[in-house]
Amino acid sequence: MITEETLVKELKQQETQARAFEVLVDAYKERLYWHIRRIVLDHDDADDVLQNTFIKVYRNIEGFKGESKLFSWMYRIATNESLTFLKQKSKKLGLSDDELKNSMVENLQSDVYFEGDAIQLKLQKAMATLPDKQKLVFTMKYFQEMKYEDISEVLDTSVGGLKASYHLAVKKIEAYLKED
Amino acid sequence: MKKDKKNSFNTPEGYFEGFHDRLMDKINQEEIEEISVLIPESDGFVVPDDYFETLSEKLTVKLAKTQSGKVIQLKPYKKFFYAAAAVAAVILLIFVPTWKSDTPIAFEDLASTEIETYLNSSALDMSSYEIAEVISLESLELNDVLESELEEQNILDYLNENVEDIEELNLDYSEYE
Repeated sequence: MITEETLVKELKQQETQARAFEVLVDAYKERLYWHIRRIVLDHDDADDVLQNTFIKVYRNIEGFKGESKLFSWMYRIATNESLTFLKQKSKKLGLSDDELKNSMVENLQSDVYFEGDAIQLKLQKAMATLPDKQKLVFTMKYFQEMKYEDISEVLDTSVGGLKASYHLAVKKIEAYLKED
Repeated sequence: MKKDKKNSFNTPEGYFEGFHDRLMDKINQEEIEEISVLIPESDGFVVPDDYFETLSEKLTVKLAKTQSGKVIQLKPYKKFFYAAAAVAAVILLIFVPTWKSDTPIAFEDLASTEIETYLNSSALDMSSYEIAEVISLESLELNDVLESELEEQNILDYLNENVEDIEELNLDYSEYE
């Protein structure tokens, strides 16, 4: 198993770059995909954003100083790319952020790559009511089972703040799910 | 009736024998009720078959495509030159009056090419993101970062040659009506 440090070194060297990039993509594609998918919801959108994320990582690897973990850095890029993508999408469609979120959830009902039942659909509706940050913390903790310390590095928020956000998110979602 | 020798309380027949089963039934029932009102464990998203297997290949193609399609070099570091020039100007204004010289050097004496050469030769380890953070977008014009004046005709020529799908431009047609 190649270490993160070696991988970064190889990514920065012309002769090893291509092979190292393949290793990087293989190692992180699924985790990053699911992170992005839970923000943008649609598979095709997630595919676009994931590819752009990897291209950005490839182009900016020179600027990666190793002050944070490579994976946190990539998650940060993926998060920014996803949120920017949604902003552009709402602008393109002439919708407000909330209107876009609602339409994204509505579209899930006809999405062939969403096999959720009524409760899972209701969960998405509940999550659409959360502020962006709370939703991010919730999905990263609940579905991706990330440690608070890692989420803290990605979202640049204290562990205490994250715990509070997560708790609030869970309470809101539970309250929404209990509604008729 | 089963009697306890030490007290006078009774329990129904078979109460203790069936206790464990009844307890487990109750726990299971409560768990089922709790799960139904709590958050589901998975969120129901799926991906197409072979999606992850073919991703690397797609990425390689896209990377090659975007690399060859890189036509215009907008010199992103130029934005930093202007910020750095402004900082240098402030520093010079502070220090110049303290210099004892018959012919004080003013910032105007410093040719912009010299500033550029200095910035080019110095190690400026800033990414375009970091540069964007220190320069406000409002203070920049497109022509500030281009070497030659960008004429409307150049833009039209570029778009004509490079854009395959006009929809990609997100043009607001109402502006042209």
